[in-house]
Parts: sequence; structure tokens; C-alpha cells
Amino acid sequence: MPFTDIAVAIQISFTYFTIIYLTGLGGLFSERSGIVNIGLEGLMIIGTVTGAFGARFFTDTVGLGTVWGPILGLLFGALCGAIFASVHAVATITFRVDHIVSGVVINLVAIGLARFLSYAFFNGQSTQSDPGGPHLARLDVPGLSSLPGGLDRAFERLSPMVVVAALMVIPVWYSLYRTRWGLRLRSCGENPEATRSLGVSVPRYRYQGVLLSGAFAGLSGAFLAAEVIGSWREGQTLGLGFIALAALIISNWNPIRLMFFAWLFGFAVAIPLRLQDAPVISLLPEQFIRMIPYVVTIVAIAGFVGRVRPPAAAGRAYEGGGGT
Amino acid sequence: MATEGLAPPIAVTRTRPAWLESFAGQLLALLASFGIALLAGSLLIVAYGENPIDVYTSIFDASLGSADGIGYVLAIATPLIFAALAVSVCFKGGLFNIGVEGQYLVAMITATVAELNLDFLPGPLLVPAVLIAAMIGGMIWAAVPGILKVRTGAHEVVTTIMMNGIAISLVGWALNGPLHQNDAPEGAFVDLRTNVFPAKGLAGDLGAMFGVTPGAHLSWLLFLAIVAAIVVWFLIRRTRLGYEARAVGSSPGSARAGGVSIGATQLRLFLISGALAGLIGMQLILADRGYLPLNYVVGLGFTGILVAFLGQNNPIGIVFAAIVWAILSRGEVALQVSSQVPREFIIVLQGLLILTVVITYQIAKRRLAARQLQRAGLAGELEDSDAPDESAGPRGPEGSGSETFEPADEKRA
Amino acid sequence: MTIGAGAGGNGSPPLVVLDHITKRFPGVLANDEVDLELRAGEVHALIGENGAGKSTLMRVLYGMYPADGGRILVRGQEIKIGSPRDAIANGIGMVHQHFVLVDPFTVTENIILGEEGGELLDIDAAQQRIAELAESYAFRVDPGAVVEELSVGEEQRVEILKALYRGVEILILDEPTAVLTPSETKDLFGNLRKLREAGRTIVFISHKLDEVMEIADRITVLRRGKVVGETRPAETSKAKLAEMMVGRPVLFRLEKPTVQIGEPVLRVQDLTGEGKLNGVSFEVHAGEILGVAGVEGNGQRELAESLIGLRTPASGTIELQGAAIAGGAVFDIRNAGVGYIPEDRHEQGLVLNMSLWENAVLGRQDDVEFSGALGVLFIKKIKELAARLVRTFDIRTRSVDVAVSTLSGGNQQKLILARELETDPKLLIAAQPTRGLDVGAIEFVWKQILDQKAAGRGVLLISAELDEIYALSDRIVTLYEGKITGEFPPDAPPEQIGIGMLGRAPEEAA
Repeated sequence: MPFTDIAVAIQISFTYFTIIYLTGLGGLFSERSGIVNIGLEGLMIIGTVTGAFGARFFTDTVGLGTVWGPILGLLFGALCGAIFASVHAVATITFRVDHIVSGVVINLVAIGLARFLSYAFFNGQSTQSDPGGPHLARLDVPGLSSLPGGLDRAFERLSPMVVVAALMVIPVWYSLYRTRWGLRLRSCGENPEATRSLGVSVPRYRYQGVLLSGAFAGLSGAFLAAEVIGSWREGQTLGLGFIALAALIISNWNPIRLMFFAWLFGFAVAIPLRLQDAPVISLLPEQFIRMIPYVVTIVAIAGFVGRVRPPAAAGRAYEGGGGT
Repeated sequence: MATEGLAPPIAVTRTRPAWLESFAGQLLALLASFGIALLAGSLLIVAYGENPIDVYTSIFDASLGSADGIGYVLAIATPLIFAALAVSVCFKGGLFNIGVEGQYLVAMITATVAELNLDFLPGPLLVPAVLIAAMIGGMIWAAVPGILKVRTGAHEVVTTIMMNGIAISLVGWALNGPLHQNDAPEGAFVDLRTNVFPAKGLAGDLGAMFGVTPGAHLSWLLFLAIVAAIVVWFLIRRTRLGYEARAVGSSPGSARAGGVSIGATQLRLFLISGALAGLIGMQLILADRGYLPLNYVVGLGFTGILVAFLGQNNPIGIVFAAIVWAILSRGEVALQVSSQVPREFIIVLQGLLILTVVITYQIAKRRLAARQLQRAGLAGELEDSDAPDESAGPRGPEGSGSETFEPADEKRA
Repeated sequence: MTIGAGAGGNGSPPLVVLDHITKRFPGVLANDEVDLELRAGEVHALIGENGAGKSTLMRVLYGMYPADGGRILVRGQEIKIGSPRDAIANGIGMVHQHFVLVDPFTVTENIILGEEGGELLDIDAAQQRIAELAESYAFRVDPGAVVEELSVGEEQRVEILKALYRGVEILILDEPTAVLTPSETKDLFGNLRKLREAGRTIVFISHKLDEVMEIADRITVLRRGKVVGETRPAETSKAKLAEMMVGRPVLFRLEKPTVQIGEPVLRVQDLTGEGKLNGVSFEVHAGEILGVAGVEGNGQRELAESLIGLRTPASGTIELQGAAIAGGAVFDIRNAGVGYIPEDRHEQGLVLNMSLWENAVLGRQDDVEFSGALGVLFIKKIKELAARLVRTFDIRTRSVDVAVSTLSGGNQQKLILARELETDPKLLIAAQPTRGLDVGAIEFVWKQILDQKAAGRGVLLISAELDEIYALSDRIVTLYEGKITGEFPPDAPPEQIGIGMLGRAPEEAA
């Protein structure tokens, strides 16, 4: 089967697309409202530990079965992400702490908090949970899963969340560009003074943006831990939160473009996982192959940066005027 | 010149000088946030069925209650001081060097290479050579995101973190490949590591002089760290580079208009930061182990960021903050031994402390600024244009509002 | 209810009454028991110097600041206005001096923001409504255009439409003509007259006495937070108004020293760049002040920045006493003898967080006098410099250690001036040097600039204030859309210069 390897790599890339895209969407809402959120990694981490716990809890302990159990587990991860994000929100919106500073703190505290939660959730284990947790049944994409040459592998046994993530673009795009809520949210990020002068509450929409970012990133983390790996492991987010941030920047904060770049980076992540024996790549030592996603991200962001236009007021503390 | 008569001489200020007021204000804020964090931590402790006083006392005992404890604390603090200084140097210029983590990893590699290849040098020359090699390693790793930032504007938060990821793989490769040890006896089982460094190339134990157990690995690197803090203070406050860095970090447009080269300044800051970061790992490989192990200490770079914020990005504050952090870290051991509360509680406490400090710092800063403004206005020279400067700048059509816009109803719907 | 055209509201009951309004800021009493009455169908001018409190008063009325004392009555009822939303609900709208528009949004999106009429946006319906509204008041604007691409005059119309869309009856305009060309001002006045005919009330905040005399029905003068007079154009004159504003007879003309004009200090040829500069050419001689007149947005900023090295022009030459400097580094150009008073003193002049003495040395920290080997700063010497600057320029401050953010605008500008002139530059670039300053500070700055001329230096004055251009210039040129459109002697009448500002050479004027 000549294309098996690359097909499996594509299959893996869909998974990582899901993770990067969902996290990226979270970042999108936050930044569009004017709050820079580099704590996406930390929010994902919270999502991983709570999602892994939630999946087991709702499936086994509460006994909801293998459909609703994992689903509630994912939602639990999203909820916890949102709660944790509220810290960032309060710090940056109410107390006008520098956005980057707060984001860094979020990331670092998340690592410690995850250990603490793990200790509580997983019987005193603080860096991992038991493997083999429950997850949603995998699907085969009809039609595409009978492609010849090994290509069928690319579309087999995908988590339904992949489809959910891909379809997210519709409600996200619609809410941002065709609703009153979206108009107001975006104006908070472009010109909070203008927004405020028209009587719209800037803090309110920014809180919503940040909480949404927590929910999406938490969902993404929960997906990673519960659905992809099957357990929680410290460090399993691998910098994906930052890769998502890079993808968001390169896609010019556009949810449609983000799909493409999230997939592209997802593929870069898949390379060390499956394509170690591919031509050219196999010439590199193993550890260097693992560097590929990071190098790709750096090259992409260095190359694209000049051509993107962030929301004009993102990062400036809003106090009706200048920044910190 | 324009007004008749001589201008009054500059008033001799009998009021408190600005720096003292700001220092006192910050100290107060720090103590307040400490109190809040401890209080919040107490709630968690109670949830575990323990008495907060007991827990905090045992932390205190383990850290400051004995010479050994103090030795451990200072040894833990040493790398943190370097890390926090590295972060703060960049921060003064408005840059976020999150790549401190990766920079010290690479520095450990270059230091190891120096140790193992320059071992023909006598001790007094070998050790400085190794330190320099470490600093160079850190500088190189910091130069990459630095150059990218200056040339392409690539945001250093993302690039430095990516560099961290690459560095981790790089260390793994080095330890498995070129630096893999070849001095182990046949069949013996050892952790993956490099060869042991020559004894003359290590950082001597300081503990013996103070009655501290050698197990604490307290070394003269501590003094080096304090010297570094003083040097950084001097650099930021008393040199051209520090001045230009602060101007760039605070108001890049004005700095540029004044002839300062933003790119050159930023690059220099990255390099200095990288050099300082390079020294982080020296405590581990020169004082503690004497070789570079695969299970090296992870996270010192990130902890350094937290310590920098805790210390308000001020070299003096950083030294104290590092010690406070180390006290808490040492407390982990105490908890493990004598309490129901899991050791992870320490991490949460540290996190709480950071959050409260960062927030109260903001509040204190704003209060202070408002008070300064008030005092300037009330100093008796109420001119016509003493009203808050509403029309500075031509921001006409672009519309970003006036600087001193008071948010009368920011929280209302 | 429609009041007859031009009735000026005489005899009709007041629509809005501000009764003993007081507003304080830290250290400043911005409004001191101000009484004001607004009637339907009038244009009411509110004048005063910078810092007199006119903007503040209207912001209180518009709900942006809570008043510390006094009350507001609308149609005889006392009401509390706690936010702009309240103000709009009571029929009061405001267009700020600095527009608050969202650049990437369309005109329609900007207008409906906050008043969308439902969760799902119906852009087409909104656009229709806006087009009709604009037409009824003869406003020319395209509802589908993106704000970023509009001219300043068009943006202002959008701001006014924003208020009208919400059904306001009282429209407050804060320094509306500061950013308009003379012809756009004409258009605006036409719109205002139409609004007045329809019974609306316009509050016209301005310091431009000519315009006030032309358009206002009644004029209220504020000085240092207090009302010092209320009158009508027919009963007063520019000079009287100026005197009321300042409290003393105002000298608008300083003595211009006679100086031998020397060799060209600056020669600019075909300077082009970034769409904003389209082939600018002119010369400045030693002992001469060249005034570049023009409404903002025509390339002034780009010109100044290109000359000091903050921008590299795409093509063209700049010669400083014969040496080419286009595209050079700011540091080198400064050292070659160029001083720079920027338009925006916060963005390009001072580092607000740093102290006065630190700002005093900005640009000269490399001098051997102020720093030595390894970059060590001689702080004592720098503070001496700062003290000297404070003395000679009469900068009001407690000490040189205070943060410059605590200085008033006038003192900040004086500091910049002091710093730049200290190096005795051959060429001084002064861009909008007296923006936001009160009369005393303006006089001071003008005197400094004239002193430069007297010392045989060259000065390039870029200003949107014709008064300033007239007061200082030996020669005047106009800048329009990145080109020099005319050269005039210092006594040329304003109409001629206005034509140059519009882009037509004098001979082409009808």
C-alpha cells in the first residue's frame, strides 16, 4: 500500500487540526474583543486534566454510557477552561494588568494547578492518569473510506469531534459577522472608545470573549486528553496552544483562513509522529524530526508577520484612553 | 524669557522623594498581596483538614529554621535569580523573553562541551571559560528570536516558545548522541547523562564555611547571582543602554524620534538576557551534579518569569522574590514529610501569590500615578493649560480618544 | 415643533439648562458653577482657550463625566445623565474632536453600532434608512463605504449622522473645523444651517473666532472654568471675544525681527513617498521661517518625519547645507544639526513614564558630556542640564525628578522646545508647535521660534493654524495632497492661501 504512511499522517493531521482549530477559535474570540490571550496553552492544560477526569466520571461513575459520558466529559473540560479563563479576564479587564503578563501567569499557574487537580482526581497521581479512558466511537467518513492505495486510511476512524470542529466555522463566522453581538464584540477590539461612546459596554463583551476562549481551549484540551490519548499526562499539550496562537496570527484572525493554517500546522505535528521514514525526513536524527512543528511555526510566523493586521485595540488596556 | 521677572527656583522638596514613596507603596502592596495569598491558601489547607498555622510553621521550619534549611533555600534561589534577571532585562525594553527556558538548556550543552574539551586548562581558568561558554550558548539561542523580532517583527512570545521546544529536542539528541557518556564501567546501570566533569571545573561548595550540609549544594554561584543583580541594576539605571531600553520599552516613538535605534537596543537586550539565562543551569551541572543529566531540572526558566513578576522586575526585588519562592519550594519537602496536604499545594500557593502580586501592583501603580498628578496640579502654579492635556497629538480622524479620559461609566451597560 | 429659520431661539423657552455645573479633576477645577441655556433652533457657540473647560462641560452634558455639582434640566425637567446612552435618550448627541469611528467597519456598521435594532443584522435596511437620512439634510456620504478610506470631512459627516440616526435634537460639535479645509467648512456650515432650520440645536465649541462670528446665533465665553460672558455676534467683535477669553487684551502679532536671509539651510526636491508625499520641493534659508500651511492629512506628518529620518522617502532628495540626508538615520540627522518639535508630543516627543531630567537628555545621551566609557551616565551633569532648561524656559515643576506625565501640556511642550533648541540646530522643524497650548504658552513658543530666526537659523514651520503661519512666517507655502500648491508672501490675504490649501494654484482660481 504505497500511500498508507501519508494517509495515516493525514488522519493524524485531522486530529491535530481539531485541537489547533478549536483552540485557535478560542483565541479568535478573545483577541477580536481586544484581549490578547497567550494563555491558551494553560487553558488547554486545564482542559486536559478536567476532560480526562470528566470522561471517566460521567461514563463510569455516573453511568451515562459511552456516548453521553464522553460528551459531558468534553463539556466539563470546556466549562473548567472557561472558569480558569475568568482569572485572565478579571486580571486584564477589571484590573488592567498587561495582557501578556497575565497570559504568562495563566500558563504557569495552569501547570501547577493541573498537578493539584490530578492529585485530587486521579488518586494521588500528580502527573498522569490511568490509560484507556472512555471516548466517543470513531467514525469512518462514508465514501472516502474506500479509497484505493491506502488513502482510505486517512478518513477512517476519525473522532466525531473532527467534524464538529470543522463545522464550527459556520456558527463562528455567522455570529461574528452577521449578528449584533459579533459587531459589538469586534468593535471592542478595533476601537473601544468608539464602542463605549455609543453606550455599549466594552468590559462586558470582552469578558464574553475571554470566557469563550477558555471554553474552546478547554474543549480542545479535553479532546486531546480524553479522545486522542485516552488519559491525562503532564505536558501532553506540547506547545499546541502556542502553535494555535501562531496559526491565528498568520490567518489574520479570520475563522475561515484559520481552518487552513490549523490543518497545515496539524500536519506539521503529524510528521514526527508518522512520517519519520519518509524521504528526506528519515535522514534526520529522531530528535530533530520532533523539532519540525516548531521550526515550521517559526518560519511561518516570521514570514507572514508583516502582512497581517491584528484587531487595532488588542493588547491596549482600555481605560477610555491610552494603555499601560 | 517670556514672563517678566525671574522664574522661582525649583522648590526644595520637603515632601517625600518620589522613589521612596513608590518604594513604600510597593512594599505595602507586596505585603498585602502576601497576606491575601496566605489567607486564600489557608482555606485550601482547612479543606484538607489541617491547621494552616501548623502547615505554615512547618514550611518556615524547613526553610529558615536551620542552617541547612537556609542553605537549601539559597541554593534553590540561585538559578532563579539568574532566570528572573534575564526576563526582567528584556521586559524593561518592552520585550517578553519567554525563551529563557530554552536558552539555559542550550547553555548547559555549550558549558558541557567546554568542560569536557577544555579540561587541559587549570581550574581558575577552566571555570570562567565554562561560564563564558554557557553565556555564549544562551546568547546564541536568544539571538534567533531577537533577530527575527528586529527584522521581521515576529512576536517574540511565539518564537521564543518554539525555540524552547526545539531546545528540548536538541538536548535530548545531544545526550543520546555526541555527549553521551563513555566513562561508565561495563554493565553498570546509570541514568542517561554526559561524562562527569573534572573536579577542578566545578563550583566549590560554600556550605562548609557556614555549617551547611554539602547536600544543599550551596556554592559561590550564589554570590555570582547577587553580583549579577547589582550589575543589572546598574545597567538599567545608570547606563546609556538601560536608559535607551527603558525609553524604547515605554515610548518607542519618542525614543526613535530621539535617535535611538529600536532594533539595536532590542537585540542587545536579547543578548544580555540570553547570557544571564545561560547561567541558570550552572547550579545544577557545576554545583549539584557535576555532569549534565537527562533528568535535568525543567521549568527553571518559566519559574524565573514568575519570580521576575513577583520581584516587580527590579533586581533588588528579584533577589528577595527568589528567596521567597525558594522558601515555598523548600516547603514542599516539609509538607511531604509531615502533612496531609499534598505537596502540589505549594504550587497553587505560589500561583496565588503571583496573581495577587501582579494585581495589587497594578492597583498601587495607578494610585501612585493619580496622586502624583494631583500633587503636581496642586503645587500652586495653576496655569491656564493645567487641565489634563486633552489635545496633545493629531489623532484626529484615526480617533483614539484623549489620554486622560476618565471612565465615568465603564462598567455600566 | 419647528422654529423659524434664523430665529436664534429668541423668546422661545430653553430646551436645555445647565445650572451651576461644577466638575473637578485631580488638582483642577475644570467647570466652576457654569450656567448655560440652549434653545431650539439655534447655533450656540461655546468658546474659550484650551483648558477653559468647554469640552469638559459638554462631556458632562453628554454623560461622559458625572458632574460634581449642579443640575441639568431638559425641557424643564431635571434629569440625571449618567452615560452617553442617557444623553442620547434625552436627545443630546456629541461629535468629538477626535473621531471615534471603527476604521475597518463600513459607514453603516459604524452608525448602527449600539442601535442595531435586533440580534440579526439587516444591513440593507439600515443602509436604506441612512441614505434617506443623509439626503434629508443634504449630507453627501456613501453608506457602504469603509471608514478607513474616507476623507476627514466625510468621516465627520458620519459622526454627525450617527447622532442624527438616534434622533438627537441637540448636537454638540467639539472643534469641528479643526480638521476641515475651508471648502469643507463651508459645506459643514451649510449642513448646520439646514439643521437649524429644522429646529435642531447646535452647540459649536471652537476657538476660531472668525467662524464663530459667522455661524453662531449666541456665544458663551468660558475662562478658567467660569462663564465670563454671553453675547451675540452683532453685539461683539473678534477682539472683544478674544479679550474675554483671555482676560486681557491679546496681542496677536509679535515683532518679527529683520534678519539678513542667508544661504539655503534646507533644500528639498521632489520628495515622494507612500502615497502621501507626491513630489514636494522647497527651500529654507538661514534666518528665515518658512511656513507650510495646510489642513492636516495632506502629508505634513510624512514630510516632517522624512526630514528628521523617521521615514525613508521613496524618492527625492533632502539636503542639509549641501549634505544629502534623505533616508539617513535619525541619530545622524540630528547630529548634523536638525531639531524636531513633533506634532504629537506624547508619541514622538517625550517618554511619559520617565522623569523630566531623563527626557531632557533624550537624543544627547551619547554626548561625552553626559555619558562615558561603557555607557555609564553622568546623572549629575544631566540633572544640571535639566535644571538649566527648566530655569531658562520657565517650566513650572516641583523638581526635575517628576515624571513628565504630571506636567501640563504647555510645560511639556516647553520642555521639548528647550531640549531641541539647546543643541542650537541649524534647522528647526516645528510641526503644529502650539497645538493644545494656552495663549501664554503660545506666545512663549512663538517668541522662541522668532529668536531662532534672529540667530540666523532656519525654521520650517508646519501648521494648520493660519494665525500662527501669519504671525511667524517670512514666506508661506501651501501643502495639499502631498504637493506644494503655492507660494505666498507673508501678507497674502487668507482667501488666496485658502485656495492653495485646496490644491489650486492662485492663477487657476475662478
